[in-house]
Amino acid sequence: MSNTTANPEFSPNLQVFEPHKASLPPLVPYLKEFWKRRAFAIELSRFADKAEYLDSKFGKVWLILNPLLLAMIYFLLVTVLRGGMKSNQGITTLAHILIGLFTFYFAQSCISAGATSITAGGRLILNQAFPRALLPFSSTISAFYQFLPTLPVYIAVVVIGKWVFPSTQIPGFTWSYLWIPFIIACVGITGFGLSLVFATMNVYFRDTNKLLSYFMRIWLYASPVLWLPEMLHGWHRTILFINPLGPVLSSTSNVWIKGINPTPGELVGCIAWALGSLLIGGYFFISRERDFAVRI
Amino acid sequence: MPENLAIRIEDLSIKYKINVDTKRTLKNAVMRASKGEAVRTRTVEAIKHLTMDLPHGSVLGIVGANGAGKSTLMRSIAGILPPTEGRIIVNGKISTLLALGVGFNPALSGRDNIILGGLASGMTREEIESKTDEIAEFADLPDGFIDMPVRTYSSGMYGRVAFSVAVSMKPDILLLDEALSAGDASFKEKSFNKMRELCAEARTIIIVSHALATINDLCDRAIWMNKGTLVQDGKPDAVVEDYLKFLKVGTLPSNYEDM
Repeated sequence: MSNTTANPEFSPNLQVFEPHKASLPPLVPYLKEFWKRRAFAIELSRFADKAEYLDSKFGKVWLILNPLLLAMIYFLLVTVLRGGMKSNQGITTLAHILIGLFTFYFAQSCISAGATSITAGGRLILNQAFPRALLPFSSTISAFYQFLPTLPVYIAVVVIGKWVFPSTQIPGFTWSYLWIPFIIACVGITGFGLSLVFATMNVYFRDTNKLLSYFMRIWLYASPVLWLPEMLHGWHRTILFINPLGPVLSSTSNVWIKGINPTPGELVGCIAWALGSLLIGGYFFISRERDFAVRI
Repeated sequence: MPENLAIRIEDLSIKYKINVDTKRTLKNAVMRASKGEAVRTRTVEAIKHLTMDLPHGSVLGIVGANGAGKSTLMRSIAGILPPTEGRIIVNGKISTLLALGVGFNPALSGRDNIILGGLASGMTREEIESKTDEIAEFADLPDGFIDMPVRTYSSGMYGRVAFSVAVSMKPDILLLDEALSAGDASFKEKSFNKMRELCAEARTIIIVSHALATINDLCDRAIWMNKGTLVQDGKPDAVVEDYLKFLKVGTLPSNYEDM
């Protein structure tokens, strides 16, 4: 039998199933299978969105309508509560809040949709063997497609803002914008990594998902979205870096609002949190995923 | 492993812990921890030291009471549940019908669901798309139903689609929980024919069924499981007869009817 021990799981031909509870399954075949079935995750997210908007009257228009309404709410907040749009500062604050909020919501929808993806995928999990991480991955793809339409909304707000207040500091175009794909990728990877943690927790504790909504709100207030990263000085700045989304959100603010490159510290923070969440979340999830079928 | 074997099971044991508490919530966990109570769990020994070889082209029926470990055995062969001890070696592509709703999202059309189910089992989009019509035809859905949301399907239609997806994958090994492939008499005949066709191509089938007539009709071998152990392994009629004796209802013909 010695020739069979190295055979990968999920491979189409010879498969060997052996005990490896609470430790990782062979990673190379796992990742290969994950990659092979990426079309499944993509279609699953596409179909989930299709199902979600199928019955609603506005359908996919909600994808634009949602951020637009949010922009209006915060426009009111900035004009009414913070003393009006008369100064250039008003439009800058609004732009900062909007891009921060859209970025934060991208991470939030990765995490909250990912958290329930396993418990909601019960039938699929009981019926077929496939790398379970595909389910939270599919939620991350959905979150990305929901995030994309928010960018034109932001750009529209900024264009109108610059037209009304030509002297605003928000840049029209700068080369720092080349950092945007990198920042978005970091948000997606961090969100996916954390969704793996919460998806696993939600299998064991079914109220994780409920707690998560409060947790996410507190997290939003602790993140530089409704306030500016510059408001923190000295050791308070560590708050930015112990927050998994702190570095990406302050880079977002630097690039979009100030038109400057992220600082080296922020870049290190972005990469560290993205890789850290992916590795920790991946280990936590994959080492337990074969337990899911008996707990669903 | 010898070439002619589809599945080899070596001293397989599967245990898992189930949480006795009804509500598995963080709140309860914190409350319990604050009172210093331990988590109440029970270890279920679903399968105890099972050893079995199954050659290609066999049709194996599994009988046994509820909780005998039949579904656990099927899931472990499919690679869904990990063995606690021992080893399972599977030679071939597996297709399963162990839980209804193979990727089924009730808001989506039958066609979309078939595509999702196929992709989950590792087919490419082209492969599954080229089979969708064949699957729909085999499932014998009324006109146009394939493009209607699955929530409009009757439970029979649902089961027929699931069965059609499972057999259309051209699996080397088909794992089937027969209670799920609910269909009327004519679909049953059709599905039996399909399964016979699969075995003629030297594909292997394992069926869990409480309909003992099905086991006698289709299988060339049967095993009887009780509380996780293998009680008997042999010709279907002999196994079924002994199983019925065990149930203390004798061999009345009525027990051979589908339950």
